[in-house]
Amino acid sequence: MTDLFQFDKDREASSAAKVRALEALLIEKGVLGSDSVDAVLQHFETMAGPFNGAKIVARAWVDPDYKKRLVADTPKAIAELDLPVGMAGAEGEHMAAVANDEDVHNLIICTLCSCYPWPVLGLPPYWYKDPVFRARGVREPRAVLREFGIAVPETKEVKVWDSSAQIRWFVVPERPANTEGFSEEQLASLVTPESMMGVALVAAPAP
Amino acid sequence: MKLQHHLGGLENLGPVNLETRVFVEDWEKRIFGIHTAMVAESAHLSDALARYPVKDLPTTFRNDWTWASLRTGAEDMQPFEYFKFRYYEKWLGGISQFFIDQGYITSDELNEKIGYYRSNPDAELPTKPNEDIGKQIDAYLKQGDSGYHPLAAPTRFSVGDTVRIANPEAVDHTRLPGYLRNKPGTIDLVYPGAFNYFVSTGVDGIGDPMPVYRVAFKPADIWGEGKSEVNSTIYADLYEAYVQPAN
Repeated sequence: MTDLFQFDKDREASSAAKVRALEALLIEKGVLGSDSVDAVLQHFETMAGPFNGAKIVARAWVDPDYKKRLVADTPKAIAELDLPVGMAGAEGEHMAAVANDEDVHNLIICTLCSCYPWPVLGLPPYWYKDPVFRARGVREPRAVLREFGIAVPETKEVKVWDSSAQIRWFVVPERPANTEGFSEEQLASLVTPESMMGVALVAAPAP
Repeated sequence: MKLQHHLGGLENLGPVNLETRVFVEDWEKRIFGIHTAMVAESAHLSDALARYPVKDLPTTFRNDWTWASLRTGAEDMQPFEYFKFRYYEKWLGGISQFFIDQGYITSDELNEKIGYYRSNPDAELPTKPNEDIGKQIDAYLKQGDSGYHPLAAPTRFSVGDTVRIANPEAVDHTRLPGYLRNKPGTIDLVYPGAFNYFVSTGVDGIGDPMPVYRVAFKPADIWGEGKSEVNSTIYADLYEAYVQPAN
């Protein structure tokens, strides 16, 4: 829909110069240190990201009791695993997992902004922040999921979770076929952020 | 009424954006980092559950800066501009204006600096590291800022209660999705404890600690049968101020 709008030709160069100018001024004025922004970004490269969520999902796939505990008390179950410090940190103070199965497909959305479970998934991708997804996902989730490439049969219930208060939701997707005997590490490598928000299934590896 | 409060259900917008990247331009990382550092330095954190020592932090930043600040700005945008600009373009506009409005910088010095970096895109930033701010950023990211409080009084509603969602006067900022106003729902879960919000939203009703409910809605009750998909349920987490008895 951005085709409807006209943008300055130097749109990106202009924003790049503006953000650099702002950061420089904030450093000069003592609002931030010159290492502050990098400190934030570093956290999302090593501590908080979808690599944590993928490990949680892999454990839930190999241990059905763990999956039950994860859905019943998400923070407690996450704390059982050997994950980086901060799994109840910023934007993950109160997280809740919902599990897909043969009867239910879950879709996470934030119609008012972009609430997202940072510790286990990192930062939200563009599709999640986009106003078109946020407008449509809540009324026509199946149509939206078709655009993402998933056909959910009408016999399967679609549950849409609108994150508007303290809870940050994520999805435990279904374990794909052809993964018998896979290690947790191999399983985790199959899990994408999109599958943990409900707009993708985890693809089965080639047999 | 603000369009940004009523995005849920808006029709005729065309296909969704399938972009899976978090940042599509490198500069976007910097404004994300600036925002998050501001939150970590925010004065309100001295009263947070984690009792951060932000009063003693060697920074000149002395304001509150929370998600409510950023969201209020986005909700206040001209609606066409809200759709026009990418996510981090909105952040960059809102945050720059905040620093000008609060007197940390002037628009003249910002423009002069922009000119400099336009002409010298590879010029370095000033070098002035600040270890204490770095530690506070790390502490905030690891410990967060929960709005949890013990429950002070019994909750007004229980699981299974049928309720009707409130329709308070529209204000600058709300956590009530517009499509739920006046709609009937069922209490699906009463979250333990009570939760405050970063700011008071005035007549909208949130701010002080209050219970939060997970409310289940039938799509047909919201959109009508003809506009709804079959076999689907919508859940929303709603502060008690937004929930009323069914009758």
